[in-house]
Amino acid sequence: MLKTFRNGVHPIGRKDTADMPLQEFTTPDTVSISLQQHIGAPCDPVVDIGDMVKAGTLIGSAHGFVSANIYSSVSGRVKAFEQRETALGNKTTHIVIENDHKYEEETLEKLENPTKEQILARITEAGIVGMGGATFPTHVKFMPKAPVDTLIINGAECEPFITCDYRLLLEKTDEFIEGVRLIKKVLGVEKAYIGIENNKKPAIDLLKSKNLQDIEVVPLKVKYPQGAEKQLIYAITKRKVPAGGLPMDVGCVVSNVHTAFSTYEAVILGKPLYMRAMTVSGNAIEKKGNYWMRNGVTVEYIYENTKGNSENEIRKIISGGPMMGFALDSMQIATAKGSSSILFLTEKEINIASPTACINCATCASVCPMHLMPMFIERATQHGEYDVALKYGVMNCIECGSCAYSCPAKRPLVQTIKLAKKEIKKRGIK
Amino acid sequence: MSYLVSTSPHLSTPKTTKNIMRDVFIALIPTTIASMFIFGFYPILICLLSTTSAVLAEFLFNKMRKQDVTIGDWSAAVTGLLLGLNLPPVVPFYVPIVGSFFAIWVVKCLFGGLGKNFANPAITARIFLVLSWGTLMTTYVEPIDLSKGFMEMFKYFPVSMTAESIQTVAGATPIANLGFKAGQTITSVDNLSLFLGTTAGSAGEVSALALLIGAVYLFVRKVIKPTIPVIYILTVGLLTMAIKGDASYFLPSILSGGLMIGAIFMATDYTTSPNTKLGQIIYALMLGILTTMFRLYSTLPEGVSFAILLMNICTPLIDKWTIPHPFGYKRPVKEKNKKEKEVA
Repeated sequence: MLKTFRNGVHPIGRKDTADMPLQEFTTPDTVSISLQQHIGAPCDPVVDIGDMVKAGTLIGSAHGFVSANIYSSVSGRVKAFEQRETALGNKTTHIVIENDHKYEEETLEKLENPTKEQILARITEAGIVGMGGATFPTHVKFMPKAPVDTLIINGAECEPFITCDYRLLLEKTDEFIEGVRLIKKVLGVEKAYIGIENNKKPAIDLLKSKNLQDIEVVPLKVKYPQGAEKQLIYAITKRKVPAGGLPMDVGCVVSNVHTAFSTYEAVILGKPLYMRAMTVSGNAIEKKGNYWMRNGVTVEYIYENTKGNSENEIRKIISGGPMMGFALDSMQIATAKGSSSILFLTEKEINIASPTACINCATCASVCPMHLMPMFIERATQHGEYDVALKYGVMNCIECGSCAYSCPAKRPLVQTIKLAKKEIKKRGIK
Repeated sequence: MSYLVSTSPHLSTPKTTKNIMRDVFIALIPTTIASMFIFGFYPILICLLSTTSAVLAEFLFNKMRKQDVTIGDWSAAVTGLLLGLNLPPVVPFYVPIVGSFFAIWVVKCLFGGLGKNFANPAITARIFLVLSWGTLMTTYVEPIDLSKGFMEMFKYFPVSMTAESIQTVAGATPIANLGFKAGQTITSVDNLSLFLGTTAGSAGEVSALALLIGAVYLFVRKVIKPTIPVIYILTVGLLTMAIKGDASYFLPSILSGGLMIGAIFMATDYTTSPNTKLGQIIYALMLGILTTMFRLYSTLPEGVSFAILLMNICTPLIDKWTIPHPFGYKRPVKEKNKKEKEVA
């Protein structure tokens, strides 16, 4: 029996790019790097217009504890500061850098046999954030306020389309393992688990063949949202993160495959985070693939360079996976640390059905990995009864989208739930 | 160029309300065909009438209320067909028409349409018809005898218009004569004919076999889960057996009357059955208990419709009581216990 959690859904896999090795993506003449690529305060710019920078030069310095440094992704000249839209729809300051196409690099000091404190300081310095898409500053996560005994590496990659973590596991196996060991050292834990969905057999076999004593490979049932933090912890350790709590409350820290790899790069190679593995897919483009993408490349540039001879019209552009990612309204949005994928989807690939009346089939409740009753929450929210929505546990929702995905009436349940959460916070309902 | 922007998720199952309702309609087709072979063409005509009038009723209501026309979702058609199958095989034409209009206008649309009705439209309409035309709705004809030739299929056409003429061809309803009532004992019963449906009864309730084929189709298509029908049917069977103290009651009690069609097609109605897993178990158990009680101790021969209507009304309450705790829920320590612990 493969390990898993209760409920969940089985969306189409669409791992079209699983067999495509990671390759360098070309970089445009200018890059626009956002000063806020993480959850937390935006960075303070530390360069001026006209300054010459290299790939790996600090351009934005973390503002406060919950924030992460930003580095230039190319060498060249700082051209401008611009207010631009991000994938989340808000506007942030972007530093526009003219690329001289020399790709001169600036690295931090390489650390050999680093101590716990040195690793943590380096993770902070290199601006590493949760690379799965949540972009929470990693150094904050690695200083848990409660004792932890288990590190879980999230290699589930349960979102359809995305394959960049899988490619990393296959191609950068040793670097990844080294990264996991560094994180283990920071946390001072004995045991680490890597949870991987069973549809990534080659990665599971490869990791198992390394005969790791301190890292256990756990094949997981292919089911969405297997990679959701609480569901992953439950599947692997059978510990239940208390409602409203954090993984550290049950002695766990969950980190992503790419985060472990970036940790390795930052600590051992001294390379700060300005480049990441990204899946570019969808039927509106021809050159689907997994690419090494520098920060600050616009979606438009990615499209132009992957479109090929495709005639298909784009209906939706998604940053991240199709279950939890963000729909983009313009191609001018630039890639950031959390951009695990960009999908150019055609009309056929997305859901454009308009909602009909709820028929109370309770499918949403039967798939909810948090065991909530989405249709009751929706009804309460539509009636403006936010206290009732709260009583139904709306704040526990992880917004995985399983309910809205499986709804036969195509109700926008996640949207309603997000509204309820926002109103409850705004009104201070308890 | 503009791109579609919406909240995640950006994917959706191919399953729609329309698919589900169409599946239920398809699942009723074996039963409809069975009723044709058992009672001839007349019940088919009644089903056609009830289905078209249900669809027409919803269309007219949509137009009157200036709503979007919702007949395309098949739910009105399902209600209509279900009602037609719940009527005695031979009834005057006005019965299915009045019943369908009552089901759609009063029970469904006045309460807000699909998903908002508090009770199952077909079952409520059936009860309405039983109360309106008591004799017509409880007069059942004998199955036709196909060995007499094809013309048997038209056997019930000339007698259809008045209650008096129908009573001249009426047969005995098996459920009334099985000896379910308190004090009675079971008579000799042919379980095979109950299973195949070659007995008198409502057009759609007689053939357990055809209903089970529909049920299997719904399970396979994942339209309904077996929870409610299985618990409901087993409760009736076991409870009747236990009260009567005779194991030979088990099969007749689950094969006769409207239990199968009620348990498979009406008790499982999404809107009027509980949404929580525990709630569905309680609901099905209560349905079984009520049905058995009505059958054994009431003056009516059958209790399925009334049991379902009663439990439909209890559904919101059952749901409210059985909301599951979210994942990771910790029972809050009560103030009193806290103090006691502190003292200790």
